[in-house]
Amino acid sequence: MQKVDLTTNQKSLKLPLVEALKANDQLALKSLYTLNYPKIEAYILKNSGTKDQAKDIFQDAFITVWKNLKDDKFKAQNDSSIHGYLYTISKNKWLDYLRSKHHKKTIVASKMNHFEAADTNCSKNDDDILKEKRLEDVMLAFKNLGEACKSLLRKFYFEKKSMKLIAEELALDSASTRNKKYRCMQKLKEIALKNNN
Amino acid sequence: MDLSHITQEEFEKIEDYLNNQLSSAELVAFEKSLKTDTDFKTKVDDIKTVLLGIETQALKEQLNVFHDEIAKTPNNTQTKSTKVHTINWKRLLVAAALIIAAGSIWILKGNSNEHLYAKYFSPDPGLPTMMSSTDNYAFYDAMVNYKQGDYKTAISKWETLQKTKPNNDTLSYFIGVAYLANKNEKIAIPLLEKVSKNPEFTLVNDAYYYLGLAYLKAENIKKAKASLQNSTIDNSKALLSELND
Repeated sequence: MQKVDLTTNQKSLKLPLVEALKANDQLALKSLYTLNYPKIEAYILKNSGTKDQAKDIFQDAFITVWKNLKDDKFKAQNDSSIHGYLYTISKNKWLDYLRSKHHKKTIVASKMNHFEAADTNCSKNDDDILKEKRLEDVMLAFKNLGEACKSLLRKFYFEKKSMKLIAEELALDSASTRNKKYRCMQKLKEIALKNNN
Repeated sequence: MDLSHITQEEFEKIEDYLNNQLSSAELVAFEKSLKTDTDFKTKVDDIKTVLLGIETQALKEQLNVFHDEIAKTPNNTQTKSTKVHTINWKRLLVAAALIIAAGSIWILKGNSNEHLYAKYFSPDPGLPTMMSSTDNYAFYDAMVNYKQGDYKTAISKWETLQKTKPNNDTLSYFIGVAYLANKNEKIAIPLLEKVSKNPEFTLVNDAYYYLGLAYLKAENIKKAKASLQNSTIDNSKALLSELND
């Protein structure tokens, strides 16, 4: 079925995908995920990978794209360039994996016919490595944080709900909500430090 | 540098800074301490990392939710391929024989309107869902249900939305096509009739086409032809010529 006026129609309805992704808009994230995953899975399966590997690589690439959008490291010209970017990063990550030591023994040269320039930012300084380690510690700590704190921090920092709304949901005043948030942050940092030692 | 050294006040100040919520006077003071006090800078960097860590981990968990949803959808490749492998040849032959028999009955009976409807009707593919504003959220949320073939849920969500926007053509159009896809052409007709009257409506050609199909389904050939005539869509012309044969 053709949509004669699809382009003009889209223009009137579309809001910038980039902004929606930066704001962690659930629908935007979901559509970016569901539209692109099947393509990546097909690519990785064709290039000697498994479904589980496809999932890991794709999610890793997805987070990279999201971070680069947030830091303005990648400036998307239009929506389709975001999809293309996600596809390229996934592919590069998979090729990096294939080149890495995990895989060297079983690699089949003839299957690697889609080489592309690797990430050029591989020369990381110590500071970056430390930061990355710290980030991983925090992520792990958040994963294991108690449900009450986890849900509260998630509302603030992922769903980006306003203080007013969160206070309403918790049936608390704003001062107690702020205090609760602060205490949850402390708890999170404690867990992160403990993991580190 | 752990958070016990940071007071709640200090933490909130840093957070406001990271969210660009400081007043310009506060910002000047803040940036001055950033330059002169390395301990303070370390604290700010650390809070930044912690906030990013929370956000990233929350996203990661959200991605797993999306992933499980994909895996659950019926048209997933794995279920398809396993089905193909388990086909029983005898059953396939029986099915083929039945199809041939059914096909010959069709040929003997000739073209009925129902047959034409089935040949031409496929639900409108819907609009791409990648928008953000709160207003559109409800609309595209229902669009996700629509695309999944859950017309009932889509209709009920759109009808709720319609109460606040009674004159939105796009909304009426999709409610109409959803009703038609849900085999309820009697409700679809007035909705599609209404939106196709507006020549400015971007989907007017689609509206006429689906209105024509709805009339065909309702066995009102005269009105079906009249609607199809107004649509520039190729399928519409093809169907019209078959109806005229």
